[in-house]
Amino acid sequence: MLTWLILLPVIGALVVLATPGRRKELHLPLGIALSVLPLALAIYVFAVFEPVAGYQMTELQTWYEPWGISWSLGLDGISMPMVLLTTILVPIALAASTSIAHRAKEFVIFTLLLEAGMIGVFVSLDLFLFFVFFEAILVPMYFIIGIWGSDRRVYAAMKFFIYTAFGSALMLAGIIALAITHGQQFGEVSFALSDLMRLDLGVGAERWLFAAFALAFAIKVPLFPLHTWLPDAHTEAPTAGSILLAGVLLKLGTYGLLRFNLSLFPEASVDSVWIMGGLAVIGIVYGAVVAIVQPDLKKLVAYSSVSHLGFIVLGTFALTSGGLQGAVIQNVNHGLTTGALFLLVGMIYERRHTKQISEFGGLQKVMPIYSGFFLFMIFASIGLPGLNGFVGEFLVLIGSYTTLPALAVVAASGVILAAIYLLWAYERVFAGLPDKEENKVLSDLSIREISLLAPLAALVILLGLYPNILLDKIAPSTEGVLDHIEASTDYQVPQPGRLGDVFVAEGD
Amino acid sequence: MATPEISWIAILPELLLALGAAGVLLMEVQWKPRPTVLGAVAAGSLVLAAGFSVIQWFQAGDAVGAGDPSELLVFSGLVVMDGLAVFGRFALLAVTGLGLLAGWRYVEGLGRRGAETIALVLLATAGFSIMVASNNLVMMFLGLEVGSIALYVLAGMSRERARSDEAAIKYFLLGSFASALFVYGVALIYAGTGEFEIIAIREFLSSFVVLSPAVILIGMGLVIVGLGFKVSAAPFHSWAPDVYQGAPAGIVGYMAAMAKIAGFVALARILLTGLDSLESRWLPVVAGIAALSMLVGSILALVQDDVRRMLAYSGVAHAGFIMTGVVGGSTEGVLFYLVVYALQLVAAFAVVAAVSGPANSESGLDAYRGLSRRSPLLGASFAVLLFGMAGLPLTSGFIAKFGVFAQAWSSGFQWLVVAAVVTSVIAFAFYLRIIVFMYMDDDDAERIEVPTPVGWVLAVAVGTTILWGILPGSLLDLAANALPL
Repeated sequence: MLTWLILLPVIGALVVLATPGRRKELHLPLGIALSVLPLALAIYVFAVFEPVAGYQMTELQTWYEPWGISWSLGLDGISMPMVLLTTILVPIALAASTSIAHRAKEFVIFTLLLEAGMIGVFVSLDLFLFFVFFEAILVPMYFIIGIWGSDRRVYAAMKFFIYTAFGSALMLAGIIALAITHGQQFGEVSFALSDLMRLDLGVGAERWLFAAFALAFAIKVPLFPLHTWLPDAHTEAPTAGSILLAGVLLKLGTYGLLRFNLSLFPEASVDSVWIMGGLAVIGIVYGAVVAIVQPDLKKLVAYSSVSHLGFIVLGTFALTSGGLQGAVIQNVNHGLTTGALFLLVGMIYERRHTKQISEFGGLQKVMPIYSGFFLFMIFASIGLPGLNGFVGEFLVLIGSYTTLPALAVVAASGVILAAIYLLWAYERVFAGLPDKEENKVLSDLSIREISLLAPLAALVILLGLYPNILLDKIAPSTEGVLDHIEASTDYQVPQPGRLGDVFVAEGD
Repeated sequence: MATPEISWIAILPELLLALGAAGVLLMEVQWKPRPTVLGAVAAGSLVLAAGFSVIQWFQAGDAVGAGDPSELLVFSGLVVMDGLAVFGRFALLAVTGLGLLAGWRYVEGLGRRGAETIALVLLATAGFSIMVASNNLVMMFLGLEVGSIALYVLAGMSRERARSDEAAIKYFLLGSFASALFVYGVALIYAGTGEFEIIAIREFLSSFVVLSPAVILIGMGLVIVGLGFKVSAAPFHSWAPDVYQGAPAGIVGYMAAMAKIAGFVALARILLTGLDSLESRWLPVVAGIAALSMLVGSILALVQDDVRRMLAYSGVAHAGFIMTGVVGGSTEGVLFYLVVYALQLVAAFAVVAAVSGPANSESGLDAYRGLSRRSPLLGASFAVLLFGMAGLPLTSGFIAKFGVFAQAWSSGFQWLVVAAVVTSVIAFAFYLRIIVFMYMDDDDAERIEVPTPVGWVLAVAVGTTILWGILPGSLLDLAANALPL
């Protein structure tokens, strides 16, 4: 089933490739229709997903035996939400791209290939396979930014590619080292995650390998001070590119830290909680402060991502139940809200061909529906209780207060700063009376645009009011990660860190 | 010594190639047939030689399986028919076939000199084929020279162009110098061990303790330098950019790929078989050359504005990556890498020739502006080939790199692997730069027509790049079985 989840977008890309290039009006609708198929499958997967620890729906096929590589797939509570998020965002990103008339066929093909790669990353249980997907997704994203981006697109695409490739190159060396160590300790080379978790690495090697993996993921997240590629990539990318970049690609970093760093290098993870948490908190505050002064709406949202992803990393390295659950659910939340914000910025850009905050003003008089959605997503992003952002950030802060109290206190300021930069931006763009002539004639959202935003808004409310729909399925897996860390190190999650399951009341 | 045994069967592929070359020349003198007829003769000898190599492959496997590998040594030990030799020869034949196809437009355009070109190509292949199958260092030198001299002439084939002349002279002078170093190294190894035969050298070195091995070591160093020239490893690479740029585009991919395959198979045979007991002496040297090649190649390729010079420097970097496989101490990774890279190289130059004209020497980056619109086939193929050379996952280039890195890591050269992964990222930058010109720059200049033979070459190269990137087992199994005696 998981294989099909990867193959469906690939098949979709091939179908689009086979359609004649002259039928320009055909490609985008076809792509949207084809991207609904993986979504349907992912919803089915979500429905049958059992809330238990360990991997489900596993598939194992030897790839090349002498090298110990295999096509090994599986899903647990950490990866399942990410797969669901990916399949939700891709149709929306495609549907938001009606303004792409130029080379639409290639655009649809690259987006579908990107989707296949992203799903592949989340479901791989073999490090070789994981790396293949992790690196392969750079190519479609590189083309999406480089061909359909704005003025400095080539620069941004190059920077994106080289930056992230650099991180993953050292991780490749790390993966080779792990597999060969397995060969030395157990007699045969293996890249399977479950095999490599049994390794006895020794403190020195474990720290180096932790650093190699952490560097790759920290660039992807991006963690301060490795974030400089992100504003460029976001600002230059087309709307669909930004949605998928913020919604899914950045999560490859946070997902990787949680899945690989914590499980493969528990000792080094426990030792480095202050470093990683500290960098995360610096990112939270730095991203927020820089966001305040951005004159460009899209850049503002981009820097807000730096800030928000800091929470996820902090939660991950809090090493408590609340922190880990918060990190996983915040992965989803940030994907939904920031995806929606980029979508909204894209909609206004299509109308006015500018993203400068100073060009706008008083839009809520002209575009009330648009303003309503914008304000709603801003509240979700700030973390207003009742909306999804609150759940994640609250869990992260509770979880990290147990183990990293000083960092949790500083991180909490990020919530306030978020309110400052987002609400101030709202005020400048929407409040007051429209004073520019161009702004007075703007049309409000069409039915099509509303239908793109409505599902995201519905999910924001759903996860805000009833987060257990996801948390119930996440919790067993994050507890499993903590069990593994406790079993392989001296670390014990301090009380009440293990009880931080505020939202998992039933059944426990 | 009794009458030397003559085993014609063993060298039948080379004989067929030489006969093909002679046949092409004689037919040209006698009948002046159309180029297609000469091409058919060449293709016939290539296919026969390849078919015969397949038989030899199974013979080699049987002999090793039966525990009597010594029967693979023929001509009193001059020639060895082991898996490595047959695999290397098969790769050479495949590259020759593709190279002739890729350059067919060029050969046709040469008129009367077309026949000479075909004959020289067949002779070069025969020479390099002998080289990879030599168990005797002098024999190896003969093969190297037959192959190299043919390549010098091929570089200067379009002699109306000053660039081509310059390339030929430069290649000839530096190449002869390298050959001289190689043969001097052979002489010193002989002086130190009293043997020319690689297997005998191995037995000598493992059964005697050489108290003052200086002569052998100097000889070894000279052999490494000589072959380093041929495969354009840094710091012996300075000829490569000029030759790649100046030689006719139609044939330069073939030239580069042949020299790489033959040079590395010979180097692997000498170092891993003959001199394996001196491993501690040559490993640091080869590792150093590998690291330097990767760095120099990747960094200098960044600043090139000519696609051919870029490919030349990327070839230097690739020589470094393949050297990493030699350091890893097994032929498997080296052979896989060689085949994969050689196919990509021939096809990449087929694209260059299609874009800039087969006899031309100009291939500035500007010519590639908007190539994806002007010829979607060329653009997409070149992009896949470049990603393959860059070593991105889902291409054979990734598997190749991964293979040599893993080998080097397990033999304790962690620093080299780290250097290699970092330089591969540097290398991404210039491969991507070409893609920027092809895809991210719109230019609706005139469309480019792709000659049919070039289309076939691209189909083979792109197909294998993706196939072996997803299912590498088919080639890896063969490479793993292609062991030296």
